[in-house]
Amino acid sequence: MPEPPARDEDLVRRYLSGDRAAFAALVERHERRVYNLALRMTGREEDARDATQDAFLTVLRKLSSFRGEAAFTTWLHRVTVNACYDLLRKRQRAPLLDRGEDDRPAREPPPAPDHADTSSLSMDVQQALLQVPEDFRAVMILHDVHDLRQEEVAAIVGVPVGTVKSRLHRGRIALAKAMGIQQEGRASGEPGSAGSDESPGGPGFGERADAAGPSEGTVSP
Amino acid sequence: MSHPEDLLADYIDGTLAERERAVVDTHLEGCVRCGAEIRQAEAAKTALSELEDVPVPFGVAGPVLAEAGRRFERRRGVAWERFQWAAGLAAAAALIVVVALNVGGGDARNAATPAATGASGGAGAAAGAEAASPGVIHFAGIEAQRNVDYDDAGIQAVAAEAADAVVAAEETKAPQVAFASAVQDSKERTSLAKDCVQHSGIQGPQDVLIRLIEAEFEGTPAYIAVFSEGPGAGQAPDHIVVFVVAKDDCRILSTASQRIPPG
Repeated sequence: MPEPPARDEDLVRRYLSGDRAAFAALVERHERRVYNLALRMTGREEDARDATQDAFLTVLRKLSSFRGEAAFTTWLHRVTVNACYDLLRKRQRAPLLDRGEDDRPAREPPPAPDHADTSSLSMDVQQALLQVPEDFRAVMILHDVHDLRQEEVAAIVGVPVGTVKSRLHRGRIALAKAMGIQQEGRASGEPGSAGSDESPGGPGFGERADAAGPSEGTVSP
Repeated sequence: MSHPEDLLADYIDGTLAERERAVVDTHLEGCVRCGAEIRQAEAAKTALSELEDVPVPFGVAGPVLAEAGRRFERRRGVAWERFQWAAGLAAAAALIVVVALNVGGGDARNAATPAATGASGGAGAAAGAEAASPGVIHFAGIEAQRNVDYDDAGIQAVAAEAADAVVAAEETKAPQVAFASAVQDSKERTSLAKDCVQHSGIQGPQDVLIRLIEAEFEGTPAYIAVFSEGPGAGQAPDHIVVFVVAKDDCRILSTASQRIPPG
């Protein structure tokens, strides 16, 4: 029987003490999760690749200062979310010429035409997801797609758990609206207007989300 | 009416304590708005939970591992210099002892032998295959990574990554297109690079080109050609061989090989 797999923190230590293969093992172990998080955040295969590489390069640069106070995966997720924020910001600043006629990621065609999950359903969900504000999107992806506990999400994003709960609920409603799921008994607004609204989730949206924490766009490493 | 908004996420997750759940249930009996929100949020959560992971495209980890290799070698270089410095001090100290001994007494014959420098065989190219082996990875065109500077460790990482990709492709039985996202669709540049690779004479008639990267190798603009090699007779490839050739005169700069573990 093979030995049980080494803990992430042990691999970090091994890399720092001269075992070069340990870093490759870390990358191999987490690449899929990092890439998929980035793909859901950015909605474009190309951006997901860049964000994944940026995240691992940041990890590589800062590995020697990783003290193991947080779990390695928490740290890795945080670095990845930040890499996505940076990339999305860069994309928004990029001149239109470089990006085709419309540079908003939310309006981009869906990613990965050659991937296995391009059923129209998941494409619709992905498209709708891009219309949800980034801070809410990140929380939803971490909790509802990647099944991380609210406490872990709070540690990754750097906000109190209460803020995670609020973002989760408001984000889900914004996503439902972007998917065209309207409240019953009400005239439907334009589908897809949720993300561009100031208050994607309805009344009280802004105050609740930011009441418990700073309205950061970036998570401090 | 005040709405129990801070409880609704957990209500949908099913993680509320019984008492809190009862509070929400009671509220829902009289609140149309929260009821509608719950239905929306539930639909969204379900849709999100049905999103499936997609496989990571071939080539994402390459530049990262190349950079890791460079950093590692730099660190090792520093360690080696320190070692040499320390060894130099030790040698100087030994010399002083020897001199002192010589001065002090007998004329001992110097029996020191120079250390043999045994260079072990490096990672040379694998022996040529006798017959064509089918490539399970489709070559998609040249990849531009001009801002990436590879070194020997990085080239070895490219070889290892290609071997993994071949194994993955064999497992799924679906031919993968290599690096589709990174490929610059330039037929001219691809054929220019292929010419250079051929001109260098490294490509045996049986090697199957699966990847071609335009990058730098230790500061020199270069093409990195990745081949799969097999025993022939329609059998799966069992080796990856990587050659690096200079862009300007197609001379060979480096090479690496990696065995593909049998599936």
